[in-house]
Order: sequence, then C-alpha cells, then structure tokens
Amino acid sequence: MLETRNLDKSFGAVHVTRDVSFRLEKGERRVILGPNGAGKTTLFNLLAGELIPDSGAIMLAGEDVTSLPVASRARRGLSRSYQKNTLFDGLSVEENLGLAASIHTGFGTRLWGDSLSRPEVREIVEDVAAQVNLQPYLHARVSEVSYGVRRQLEVGVALATRPRVLLMDEPTSGVGPEMAGAFHALLAGLPRDLTILIIEHDMDLAFEVADSITVLNYGEVVFDGAPETARGSDLLKEIYLGSWEHA
Amino acid sequence: MFRHTPLRYIALALLAAGALFQAATAGYFGLEILIEILILAMLVLALDMVAGFGGMVSLCHGALMGVGAYAFATFGGILGLTPLVSLVGAIALTGATAWVIGAVCARSHGIYFIMATLAFGQMAYSYVFQTPFFGGDDGMGGIERLDLTALGIDLTDSRSFALFCLGVLGLVYLATVAVLRSGLGRSLTGVMHSEQRMRALGLTVWRVKADVFGLSGMIAGLAGALSAMHIMYISPGLLDWTVSGEALVVVILGGLGTLVGPMIGAVALVVLKHELSAITPYWHLVVGLLLIGVVMSRANGIFGWIEAQIGARLDKRLNDITRPQPTEEPRDA
Ligand SMILES: Nc1ncnc2c1ncn2[C@@H]1O[C@H](COP(=O)(O)OP(=O)(O)OP(=O)(O)O)[C@@H](O)[C@H]1O
Ligand SMILES: [Mg+2]
Repeated sequence: MLETRNLDKSFGAVHVTRDVSFRLEKGERRVILGPNGAGKTTLFNLLAGELIPDSGAIMLAGEDVTSLPVASRARRGLSRSYQKNTLFDGLSVEENLGLAASIHTGFGTRLWGDSLSRPEVREIVEDVAAQVNLQPYLHARVSEVSYGVRRQLEVGVALATRPRVLLMDEPTSGVGPEMAGAFHALLAGLPRDLTILIIEHDMDLAFEVADSITVLNYGEVVFDGAPETARGSDLLKEIYLGSWEHA
Repeated sequence: MFRHTPLRYIALALLAAGALFQAATAGYFGLEILIEILILAMLVLALDMVAGFGGMVSLCHGALMGVGAYAFATFGGILGLTPLVSLVGAIALTGATAWVIGAVCARSHGIYFIMATLAFGQMAYSYVFQTPFFGGDDGMGGIERLDLTALGIDLTDSRSFALFCLGVLGLVYLATVAVLRSGLGRSLTGVMHSEQRMRALGLTVWRVKADVFGLSGMIAGLAGALSAMHIMYISPGLLDWTVSGEALVVVILGGLGTLVGPMIGAVALVVLKHELSAITPYWHLVVGLLLIGVVMSRANGIFGWIEAQIGARLDKRLNDITRPQPTEEPRDA
C-alpha cells in the first residue's frame, strides 16, 4: 500500500534520512520508534510531500508519488496528523471535522450552499466523532477543550478525509498515560483495511498496537520486523537506554 | 467563517435606515455624498472578503475598481454596447483579471502578497495612463447610466441613482455573506488558519484563493462601473494605488473580517473627508490620527471595539431573555 525505496534527505550538512526503505501491506499497522531527532517526523514530511527527498522513491498503492504535491497525495488517500496540533482554533470541533470532510467530498470548493449541512459531510463527521470519542465536544470550540481532546481531534481531522493510509505523528504526545492507553484502545476500532503508520515514543504502547516495527536511529532503519523480535533485541535496548531521553 | 450576531443585525438595520433617510431627504450634495459612501462600501466589502477572511491583504482593489470603470466605459462608449451588457462585461472582465492576480499571488504571503498586488495595480495604472485608446491623462467621458425606464426608474436622477446603489449594495452584502458561508468560504477560512493543514487534507489552496479573489474582483468591478456611471467621466486617477490604500484604511478602521465594520468605516471616512476638508486642508492628518488611535488601541477597528464592549453583554442579555428562567434562584447565604 505504501512503500519507500532508498529515501535520502539532508538539511545542509545534516543527513536526516539515510537510505530508508520499508513496505506496508494493506491494513498493516506499523509503529516507528526512535529517539528524539532520529528523523521520524522528517520521514513523515517526505511521505506526505511536505519535503521532497534528495533521492529515492515513494510508492502509494503502486503509484510513484515521489514528485506529487501534498494535496494530490492527500486526494489519493494519504492523510496525516501532526506532532504539534494543527487545528482551526476559532472553529468548533464539529467544524474542524467538517472542513476535512467537505474537502474529501468535494463540497469544500462549492460556491453555493453550506458544505457542513450536506448529508455526506454530516455522515463522515458523525462517524469520525464516534471513532475518536469526540461526540461530547462537537459544539465546543477548539480553544475550549482540553489538550487531550485536541490531540484526539488532530487525528479525527486526518480521519475525516476517509484515508486509505493514515500517518500519525506521536498522537499521544503530551497526554497522560490513561489517555494514551484509551487512545490505543480506540485504534482497535478503526477499520481493519486502513493502513496505519504511527510514530510513538512509548515502547510498551507501541508493542500493543503494532503488526510490525521500524526503528530509526540517526535517520537510518536499524530494525524492521515483528514486535516480538523487537522486544528481545539488544540493539533496541541499547538505543532505548542509551540516547532515549524518555527512558 | 462569517457569523451574524444580534449586534451586527442592529448595526445593519441602523446603516440601512440611515441610508434610506438620507436618500429620501437629502439635497443634491447630500445625495452625492451618499452615493460615494455606497460605492466605497461595495469596494471595502470586496476587500474585507479577501483580507478579513482569507488573509489576502490586497493593494490592488482600487485598480480593480478602475478596471471595472474603464471596461464599462469602453464597452459602452467605444464598442457601443448597451449599458446593461457593458455592466455585465465589466464585472466579468474584472473578475477574470482578479482571478489571474489571485492565482499568481497565491503563493506569497504577508508583505510579499501586498507588494505583489501593488505591482499588478501599478501595471494596470500605467497601462491605462499610457494608452491613447483610453484617453490617457484626459480620461474618458460621455458615460451613460443604466436605463431602467422600463421599470419606471430614471437613473439620471440623483435620488433614484442613490436608491439604486443602495439596492445593489444590499445585494452585494447578501452575496458576500453567501460566499463566505459556502463550502468555498469555509475552506478559505481554513486556509487563513493553516494552509499547510488544508493542503494535507487534499485542498488545492491556490485555486481557493484565486476563486475568492476573482469573486471579490467582480464586486470591485461592479463598484467601478457604478462609479463610472455616477461621475459619467473617468480618469486614470481611479486606478491610483492610493485608492487601494484608502480602501484598506477603511477596512482596518471599521473592523477587519466583520463586513459590517468596513461599511461603517466607509461612512466615517467619507463624512470626515467632506466635513473636515471644508474646515482644514489637513483632513488626512485627522484620519491618520484616528487610524493610529484605532491600531494602537489593539481593538479590531471601530466596530470591533463596539463588539468587544457591548456585543458580549448583548448576546448574554438576549440569551437570558430567550432561555426559560429557573423557578428558584439559588442563593448563597
Ligand atoms: N526543516 C529543517 N531544517 C533543518 N533541520 C531540520 C529540519 N527539520 C528537521 N531537522 C533536523 O533533522 C533532525 C530530525 O528531526 P525530526 O523532527 O525528523 O526528528 P524526530 O525523530 O521527529 O524527533 P522527535 O522525537 O523529537 O519528534 C533533527 O536534528 C532536526 O533538527
Ligand atoms: Mg518528530
């Protein structure tokens, strides 16, 4: 569903992504682990098209999207959430989801009629609100809800484009352990055919949801395999205990 | 996205009542002032639509208005088309011009966007100024007003023309609100918040900006055609960048992103101009001081300030009235 081939990216002299290759099958849930500054977010930026790789290729559903702009990739079913909330603050939770849903349904560029009252848009908004537990907050403004709820909305907005591939950049960063746990439980409720790539800091949580694990260190893939194998890996322990601030 | 509040309805009603009263009672000079206000109000609605709701601060809206005026005069005076066809043509041509400007400038932001639009405006100005076809420095005269005698309306009469402009302004206001509330308008607001996110959701951001800029240009073109009909003579001065600057001053003075505020700003500016210029040639100084005061107060213009002062209280009062009262008031000892 999503594949990278020998991706490389440098910022000046800093080599942030080194020869990264991996492959996600349809419906696969892969977690990306790695210490701060390992190049995880940069990899997402390359996948989403916000950065263009120096070399290498990105395939989405068998199509080479390496040189496609961000919006075109999104329209082909790639959606992402951000590590730092990128929400529409003055709007309500419902309007945030509605904006995303109306782009997906094509009503976001119509001149006549309110996109948010379209049944197609309403249906997506209600579905997604149920998926990420946002029903109680639909009418609250983003600025009025807690940080944890905003993190959920951050993922909700990405889901409201009905993606085939969902990239989530540390969806539980900054929220307490209970909320992080609840969030991971909620992942189980997402459609099984949705391909998911998650950046996660917490190893134990990562093992809970992952079908497969990729570990990045200094921009390089140092591990790619099943969670069970990762758990016993000495290399991972070394990185985890060594440079991981989180430990 | 644009929302109507009770305070905005009240302000709109007051503006409409004031304009109707003026149109009914004023003499020739008063009617001229009213028409000037109504046309400026149209221009600033167009500007607020892009600047207040899309973050596109344009310094070419005066020039767009000039394009509308020249197009109208050319279609009628040189090509011999009827005023109605000329009007439609002028609106379409200005809209298309604005769409192209919007598309080209869509990737620039902040000061660069302002400069890019200014450059387009200046290009239009010098083109018209240098082209003998458009009368150069002398401008063009002999412009006809729309013929509505079939409806029993004689637009050569100042009072009728003022009422006509008021009606058009009302329609323009409704159209602006409709655009801002449409899917396109909502996306525009999203773009102003975060272009990056809207792109990541699959939106072609430059198209949204260009489309709304084009619609805004159509309104500016309409204002220009009305202005040409009003004076029945046009000169390149219409396209001068100071016209755009003045429109921007009015939007900021009135309240960016409120639609109602800029219209109040238009009233304030034109009235101040006429009242003060009779007393002192330094009337610009007073407007400048007023603008500095408004900007320094950190309120969103005159209307933004009013909204901050009484809008919240008014909303609460109305909520209390419409909500059923609790039978027993809980009291602390
Ligand atoms: N636009 C940029 N310009 C220059 N350097 C950058 C840029 N973006 C990221 N970097 C650098 O690239 C490296 C990797 O950053 P990245 O954000 O991808 O790490 P990360 O794995 O997501 O870290 P974290 O766990 O802290 O989110 C860092 O050293 C960072 O400073
Ligand atoms: Mg990161």
